[in-house]
Amino acid sequence: MNVYLLQVINGVGIGMLYFLLAVGLSIIFGLLRFVNFAHGAFYLLGAYFCYQALQWGLSFWLALIVCPIVVAALAWIAEKVLLSRIYEKAHEFHILVTVGLALVVQELVIIIWGPLGDNVAVPEVLDGVVMWGNFIYPKYRLFLIGFTAVFAAVLWWLLEGTRLGSAVRAGSESSEMVSLLGINVFRVFSLAFALGAGTAALAGVLAAPVRGVEPFMGIEALGIAFVVVVIGGMGSFAGALVGGLVIGIVQSLMSTIWPEGARLMIYVAMAAVLLMRPHGLLGRG
Amino acid sequence: MLVRYRFWLLAAAVTLILPVTLSSGTLATEVLVYALAVLGCNLLLGYTGLLSFGQGIFFGLGSYTLGIMLTRTALPMPIAIVASILLGAVIAAVVGSFAIRQKGTYFVMLTLACAQMFYFFAYTATDWTGGDNGLLDIPRKSLTLGGKTLIPLETPWQFYTFVAVVFLIVFAALLRVAESVFGRTLLAIRDNETRAAAIGYHVKTFKLVAFAISGAVTALAGALHALMTGIAPLSNIEYHTSEMILVMTVIGGTGNLFASVLGAAFYVLAADWLSTLWPRWLLLLGLLLIAVSLFMHRGLWGVGESLWYRITGKRSDGDANGKLDTQGDAT
Repeated sequence: MNVYLLQVINGVGIGMLYFLLAVGLSIIFGLLRFVNFAHGAFYLLGAYFCYQALQWGLSFWLALIVCPIVVAALAWIAEKVLLSRIYEKAHEFHILVTVGLALVVQELVIIIWGPLGDNVAVPEVLDGVVMWGNFIYPKYRLFLIGFTAVFAAVLWWLLEGTRLGSAVRAGSESSEMVSLLGINVFRVFSLAFALGAGTAALAGVLAAPVRGVEPFMGIEALGIAFVVVVIGGMGSFAGALVGGLVIGIVQSLMSTIWPEGARLMIYVAMAAVLLMRPHGLLGRG
Repeated sequence: MLVRYRFWLLAAAVTLILPVTLSSGTLATEVLVYALAVLGCNLLLGYTGLLSFGQGIFFGLGSYTLGIMLTRTALPMPIAIVASILLGAVIAAVVGSFAIRQKGTYFVMLTLACAQMFYFFAYTATDWTGGDNGLLDIPRKSLTLGGKTLIPLETPWQFYTFVAVVFLIVFAALLRVAESVFGRTLLAIRDNETRAAAIGYHVKTFKLVAFAISGAVTALAGALHALMTGIAPLSNIEYHTSEMILVMTVIGGTGNLFASVLGAAFYVLAADWLSTLWPRWLLLLGLLLIAVSLFMHRGLWGVGESLWYRITGKRSDGDANGKLDTQGDAT
């Protein structure tokens, strides 16, 4: 089979993970107007919680549901205890507090699970490959694409079709106006933050069987999430999807064409997009 | 006279206190090297309101430029330093022209994305940077003229003296910049960009020049760091370096250049001390950052200042710390 086609399909899989990672960041940014530097830490926690759950002999499917919820709950607490106190402060403090939070999480992960990473087994059902004529593809990656696509649809419905979603979207336009309409905007903030963290954790759980776990995966993920959001356009759901897919496919293709430069090319792609469209592909000017 | 030069005198005092209180010349040098980098960051954050998460680009660039020039050519060290400074300014102008098209948080993300791009560039261009290993064996020869040693740099304390002189010159120059019409215009842009533009200032040019100066100073710090350690490692251009410089800046306090020296000294010394106590000291740093964000909005300098007012019972004038009143519109 054509190796490039295979890499494009691979890229879609990776891209959907990047989308999950970035969409939470984008929601949080859109509503709360600050860059959440702890976003990578939530992804890290998702991956490690999944690892721990499997160590305890729990099933991957349970981990897939429970881990993101636990992380979302932790993020909700962090928002209540830390972030809600500093919304009115200058944005360097938003960044500093989330950078601090990310450091604390990363170091706690090292203390609990050690500085070295480990592999995470692919769930048995999804182990192995699918063969379709001369098309051969790992089952887990197909599942990844399908699952994230379904989740993206659910998330889209959540944002476009529910009251919470319209509060989130209206809040991104003008949080003052939303609170004047009688909606408790701080409650929406907390929920959106938890939702964003939960999607990052979900990306972590899904990524764990692909790339294993290690304490510094959070920082790497943070960088990628930023690029995806910058390429796609801030605060845009569709932008995160397009950005994620672009980055995933670029990275995948480049890993065949020029393996050493695959990660560099992600950033070159970003620079190219920004030169043509300063606000990102789907960003509002 | 004393009042006018008070910040420079404070900085000079620090360069004299460090050798008395520290036993390691390298540690003392590290304080000043990072203080330089933090000064560059503070010029952007405190004076122009630009929060750059990409200062590591210029720091690493300075290290690599000096390293490449000293290991591959026979050029004298001062030329390598000047080249680092110039290249730092040029690249900062390029990165700046990219980033200042956006404002606020978008700007922050752009600078971080640029930092990652340069990091992977350095990681990929192994012929130039040594990739993961970095550049090794960067020589630190004494400065000679016609066979006579002008400035000896062999021992850590001799090198400290050299760095201290460079630091004080740069500090004086940056004070001049901050107090010039240019510096005051930057403050105006920080406080109200729309108004500054409406008055007729070309805001982008000012931001770009601030970026270039910041890049130059940070690259100088990077070059001195490479000279100090004899290596130009990949970590000098990493996310962590950018993060560290920014953290030092905010811990020290923005809007006053001397606060940067405090921030750098506090961070470097605390890191040195804590890392001998506990390998996971970054956890404590994280908690400290959270505490600073919640309770110490004007950094160490702000704490010192409040104490000073309480003791003397008066308010000072003249510093660029109108920050407290304008925090609301900064986002």
